[in-house]
Amino acid sequence: MSDQKEIINALQAISWFQELDPEHFNKLVSIAGLMNVEAGEELFREGDKEDCLYVVVEGRVALEIFIPGRGRIRIYTAEPMDIVGWSSITPVVRQRTASARAVLPSRLVCFNAANLFNLCNEDHDLGYVVMRHLSNVVASRLLTTRLQLLDMFAHPNNKEVPHA
Amino acid sequence: MTTQALHLTTAISPTQPMAPYWAEIDEIEIEAPGVSTYWLRFINPALRDGYRFSPGQFNILTMPGIGESAISISSSPEDTQRVGHSIRFVGNVTNAISRLKVGDQIGVRGPFGTAWPMEIAAGQDIIIAAGGIGLPPLRSAIYPIINHRKNYGRVVVLYGARTPQDLQFTREYKQWEDAGIELMVTVDRADETWQGTVGVVPILFYRLRMDPHKSILMTCGPEIMIRFVVFEALARRITADRIYVSMERNMKCGLGSCGHCQVGPYFVCKDGPVFTYEQLQPYFNVEEL
Amino acid sequence: MPEIHLEMGTTVALPKSALAGLLENLKQMGCEVVGPQVKDNTIVYAPLSNVEDLPRGYVSEQSPGSYRLNYTGHGNYFDITPGPHSWKMLFFPSRSQMVAFRRSKDSQRWEIEPDTEPTPLYALFGVRPCELAAIQIQDNVFLRSDYKDPVYRKRRQSAFIITVNCLHPCGTCFCASMGTGPEAETGFDISLTELEDVFLVKTGSEAGRSVMSNLPWQPSRAFWIQTAQRELAAARQNMGRSLPNPEELPNILLNNLDHPQYDDVAKRCLSCANCTQVCPTCFCWDAQDLNDLSGSYVRRERVWDSCFNPEYSYVFGGNTRPNTRSRYRQWITHKLAGWYQQFGTSGCVGCGRCITWCPAGIDITAEAAALRQEVHS
Repeated sequence: MSDQKEIINALQAISWFQELDPEHFNKLVSIAGLMNVEAGEELFREGDKEDCLYVVVEGRVALEIFIPGRGRIRIYTAEPMDIVGWSSITPVVRQRTASARAVLPSRLVCFNAANLFNLCNEDHDLGYVVMRHLSNVVASRLLTTRLQLLDMFAHPNNKEVPHA
Repeated sequence: MTTQALHLTTAISPTQPMAPYWAEIDEIEIEAPGVSTYWLRFINPALRDGYRFSPGQFNILTMPGIGESAISISSSPEDTQRVGHSIRFVGNVTNAISRLKVGDQIGVRGPFGTAWPMEIAAGQDIIIAAGGIGLPPLRSAIYPIINHRKNYGRVVVLYGARTPQDLQFTREYKQWEDAGIELMVTVDRADETWQGTVGVVPILFYRLRMDPHKSILMTCGPEIMIRFVVFEALARRITADRIYVSMERNMKCGLGSCGHCQVGPYFVCKDGPVFTYEQLQPYFNVEEL
Repeated sequence: MPEIHLEMGTTVALPKSALAGLLENLKQMGCEVVGPQVKDNTIVYAPLSNVEDLPRGYVSEQSPGSYRLNYTGHGNYFDITPGPHSWKMLFFPSRSQMVAFRRSKDSQRWEIEPDTEPTPLYALFGVRPCELAAIQIQDNVFLRSDYKDPVYRKRRQSAFIITVNCLHPCGTCFCASMGTGPEAETGFDISLTELEDVFLVKTGSEAGRSVMSNLPWQPSRAFWIQTAQRELAAARQNMGRSLPNPEELPNILLNNLDHPQYDDVAKRCLSCANCTQVCPTCFCWDAQDLNDLSGSYVRRERVWDSCFNPEYSYVFGGNTRPNTRSRYRQWITHKLAGWYQQFGTSGCVGCGRCITWCPAGIDITAEAAALRQEVHS
């Protein structure tokens, strides 16, 4: 199977790509690449200049932040259909905010950020659809991050307990 | 002297409902930091043989001189002879229990409360969503499901804890998966040795494809987790009458008498702890109710 | 001795002087007779030695946060209205033993000590209709098909009840709105209506009939019956307060749990729990383990608790009702709304004690009226 066909198959398994009209879908396919990574392989590191936006097709990619003295802490894992590296196409954030590393052998569709950005500038309709979807991704990522922040499973502070 | 074996199916005295029946600690299993499962055997032989409970119910454990604590039963209802209680050590009574050893005596009253809808769930797909110490009361439902797997459709367990060390019953996960349960486990944070998912329990719904018309959701955990799990379930069109929630409140009697466990018009010990979301809907999101 | 047979349900007349004979008969039966008496400038319920202990000649004036007992010297025994005590103190005592444990020195195992407390036999002498309704409400709480409280049951099942209908309600009374008074319908052994010269007596049970049988009763004159009916009708009209349509409250209250009135009452309420202590239907309780010094004897006691206590709604991780606003809301919505779903009736009998004994003068009827107001944002 050619790369193109594989990319098409992979993207068609993802619901929001399916919702694109054929013209937009084809434009995205034209700038997409397919990559396989081994377990433990790094995709990018904190501080890297961003270049790609990834969609996980199979496997699992962990986002990690390094804390001196504590090592790398895993703060999120991207599973099939998740997006990794969305910050690459937002204009303000200019470098990676976390490291990404494959946990399991993974298959990813990657979009070169500059190409994707240009595509969106040329075709505003496509740009709108892409940004709208990305804002959903960011919103849901923000919600889950906030819930993680609540630390809801933590043992409460020791208080004077009146009864059991 | 032989006595006719009275069939004692509950440890609730009809004449003195606040008096416990005595049990002995048969085994203590450490589940996670601050959480252990206590296996109890009733001293009274008729009760030891006859005690029965439904998954989701709880017992009240008595430490004379200290007090009582309501603890969900986490063992299988089909295990006779012993009853398992997974206890998190958080207060006077539970901390006193943490100092007990095998062979020590403890009082038991129960079982109390409403149960998970095992009959209603027959033939349906089941989604079990648990967080932290919310897994033990659901574990008592997982066992009957495994033992009668053909009675149910797809069975998915979504479980989350704070860190990989806090995950409970890890030694049983393979058994569950071998029995045909789809298990998705997540933690709030981890280091590089954790190969699994990192994120909160509600996000496990994003990866779940299900048919809302034949799914039953059973969930237990911190109320905030329940709120977001229910949110995800409702967003996926599972109706409120198909969502079952186990609630927790301060309990002193287990009998619907002392009043402490009320939420709105319900006594959690008597009308719950398992409620449908339909029952809870008017009250669940009222702050400080 | 009258020729006519004393029928249950019919009204006869008893001269006032015969009240002592009634009291004596009850003592002969072995009852501890408990009734209203003056103490510390209020009416309390305490054992009666004879009818002189009753508050003859007194009236009480009650209003929000205020109680006054005045001696007017009139001839009636029962013109007062209830004080802070309610009859729940007999059946649901403020402190009682639930279980006792003893640990033997050798085995170090706990055993349950058998309960040897003798069953008291009470005669309640002077129960107002609102209080009778409260007793019946607590019967629903403590004596259910799925659970019968042993302490309550022991004391309640042998209790002899003499109700006195109310002809002089006070400023905080609203039993008429709640359908609990001023006249008792059923549930008593004997019901009295006190007129100037006689008591009108209705028996409600075999025990009531037998206690009356040797007393100098006579058939009631029509004039007395008419006077009683007229005065009861007037009493119904002269209630100090009203709570209209209480059966509408469950819907209204449970659908408006964020009503701004709760913020308002929270500024006034002290969360002092007086209302729950004086309320004749409040039943919340706490369990306390009391140890002796040897460490081998424990008494688990039941004590009155209150939803206004900060520890009441403690769960690990915090308190589900951490402030006065949420606690007041719990109290009033339970009393006027949730109770219907739990026990089939309102939890309020309209006795007005919570209004009288609230140091902030909070009036449940006024709060209910405010909570009925639509909120226009």
